[in-house]
Amino acid sequence: MAFHLENHTISYGDVTILNNINLSIKKGDRVALLGRSGSGKSTLIKNLFDIQKENSSYIPQELGLVDNLSVFHNVYISLLNEKSTFYNIRNLIKPVKTELNNVEVILEKLFLKEKVFSKVTNLSGGQKQRTAIARSLNSNKSILLADEPISALDENLSQITMDILDDKFETIVCALHNVEIALKNFDRVIGLSNGCIVLDKKSCEITQEDTSTLYDVCK
Amino acid sequence: MMFANKNVNVSFIFIVVGIISFIFADLSISTLHPFLETSRFFGSIVDINLKNADYILEALLNTITIAIIAIFISSILGFLFAIVFKNIIVRISLAFTRSIHELFWALIFLQIFGLNTLSALLAIIIPYSAILGKVYAEILEENDTFPDELRGKDKISYFIYTKVPDAFPHLVAYTLYRFECALRSTAILGFVGVITLGYHLSSFFNQGYYSDVWLILIVFYIVIATIRYWFNKYTFIPAIIASFVYLKDWGELSIDNLIRFFTSDIVPAPFKYDYSLDKTINWFSNLFFDEIIVGVFNTIVVTQLSLIFTAFFALLFFPIVSKKFTKIPFLGHIFLVVLRSTPEYMLAYIFLQLFGPSMLPAALALMLHNGAIISFLIGNQINVMELREDSTNKKIELYFYEVLPRIYSQFLAFLFYRWEIIMRESAILGILGVATLGFFIDSAIADFRLDKMFLLLLVTAFLNIVIDIISKKSRDYLKVDKPTSSCGCSLK
Repeated sequence: MAFHLENHTISYGDVTILNNINLSIKKGDRVALLGRSGSGKSTLIKNLFDIQKENSSYIPQELGLVDNLSVFHNVYISLLNEKSTFYNIRNLIKPVKTELNNVEVILEKLFLKEKVFSKVTNLSGGQKQRTAIARSLNSNKSILLADEPISALDENLSQITMDILDDKFETIVCALHNVEIALKNFDRVIGLSNGCIVLDKKSCEITQEDTSTLYDVCK
Repeated sequence: MMFANKNVNVSFIFIVVGIISFIFADLSISTLHPFLETSRFFGSIVDINLKNADYILEALLNTITIAIIAIFISSILGFLFAIVFKNIIVRISLAFTRSIHELFWALIFLQIFGLNTLSALLAIIIPYSAILGKVYAEILEENDTFPDELRGKDKISYFIYTKVPDAFPHLVAYTLYRFECALRSTAILGFVGVITLGYHLSSFFNQGYYSDVWLILIVFYIVIATIRYWFNKYTFIPAIIASFVYLKDWGELSIDNLIRFFTSDIVPAPFKYDYSLDKTINWFSNLFFDEIIVGVFNTIVVTQLSLIFTAFFALLFFPIVSKKFTKIPFLGHIFLVVLRSTPEYMLAYIFLQLFGPSMLPAALALMLHNGAIISFLIGNQINVMELREDSTNKKIELYFYEVLPRIYSQFLAFLFYRWEIIMRESAILGILGVATLGFFIDSAIADFRLDKMFLLLLVTAFLNIVIDIISKKSRDYLKVDKPTSSCGCSLK
């Protein structure tokens, strides 16, 4: 079991963000969280991250990139905990060959290799998103928790990215607002509305009616 | 409070305090022919000649090399202080060191080590590393966009990967600005005898050689305006090495003098000479009522008045350096560079000639100098601010609808930071005759009563620390994005 929440409620002051959530996610699950902004997706994803910090790679909606660092260094940040401080400092001053090679392999798949030494601040929205995704791919974690990671990518690039993530991570929980991508790429979809789970099914068992519910919660 | 907007609340309080200060301030004009000497001064600009250029060149090189070494050492120390700035003892010691003006530090070191390069450098380095430490710490805190939840255990690695890169350009920009200040401070050290530009400037002024004063000022303006061309990432290492080679007359660290200063010179007279109880109480109460109370009150009045003047000046003049408001920001730029490059000493001195001794010269000098700095900083921010393509062309509407709301918080922050500096400067301008704390400190040094000087410096530092605390509290109050803590049921 990767995650298990029982009667889980979160509120900030008077505002309830997550209301009485019951949720189990097994290892190997690929879960899409659907819902409009404010439905509690981001809070739930962040919560899951708090539970499995050691094993998870997390892509927050605001991406958490360091603007003045190059794409390479931003991608490398996922390894800071595993390497020694000395090695990290050395790599900041002059990129270590092996690290650079690893990062370039990842960036190539995401069509971002030519930007490896560009500062993040000079990238487009989609390029920034792919940088954050590359950072996760460069980590050695088995769980991916991503909050709208492909919202700025076109359909083709979204599909490629999803495939790469599928290959890399054992367990994925991903907030989305695109129903088609969710049904196509994930084994299981969860619909969130006003902090409550309104639907939780395997993708293959989704009915016409369920689909319209999902479109509804994403509207 | 009564207003919905916190910025307005804070501004309102400061305006009220400013008005109260205005009521208590002595702003009288006492000279009979205020404009005669001034017109002579301004008229002499056409008589500029190079007959004293040798003196000025030597003083210029001294000024630049001292400033370069001072900023180099200060920025290293400042960065180290910034890393440990959370520590309360560090905060308090830095607040104490930076609250004492570099001229006061110079006067202290002149007593201990004599008139030499070492004293000059220490006088700049000590307050500057404290100031840089504080501001570096704030910059590092503000440029912190990396999410906390992604931050791992290896603090050093995360510090240099996620904080330093975003903060770095700001750290460099601030250091360069401080370098400009260091040039000004070094120039002013001439007023107490170090052979820098201020030394010749004051002696030429006293002798009425106004054309030479102008030459020094113009040379100084050019040096300041061209900093980026001669002190940048390509030149700074050779410049530092050359400065070390150039500077002579280092003097020597006289440990005996240092010990004497701390164990005898600054020990209050009643303890040193074993006064009777009556005499002791008398000594302290005279000091307290005749000097401390008066000095503190006047310092606060000058500070608050100057702060309000500064605020209005800055809000009025920042558009003149912004491309969004004027087609000729270059001219505005020159105007502000001239104002902020002129040491506030000089400005105060000129106004003193104009209006006679009162708080007016000090307040005007502080307004022009600090107002020009804030205008310049805000103007630059506006130049990089991206407005919508379809934002209004009407300048007044642009000012009040698009620009002012965006920069107002920043403006208050600048003002809060300048507050401390204005207080420091208000105190030091006492040397020119306004009865702020500097007046009493200067008199104490002139009478060689270093014990009194030391106590008055402590009071000055304490006052500054109080301002620092209020400033910090105000900035916290204005910061709207407080982290909302969850109810605690999130983790099972």
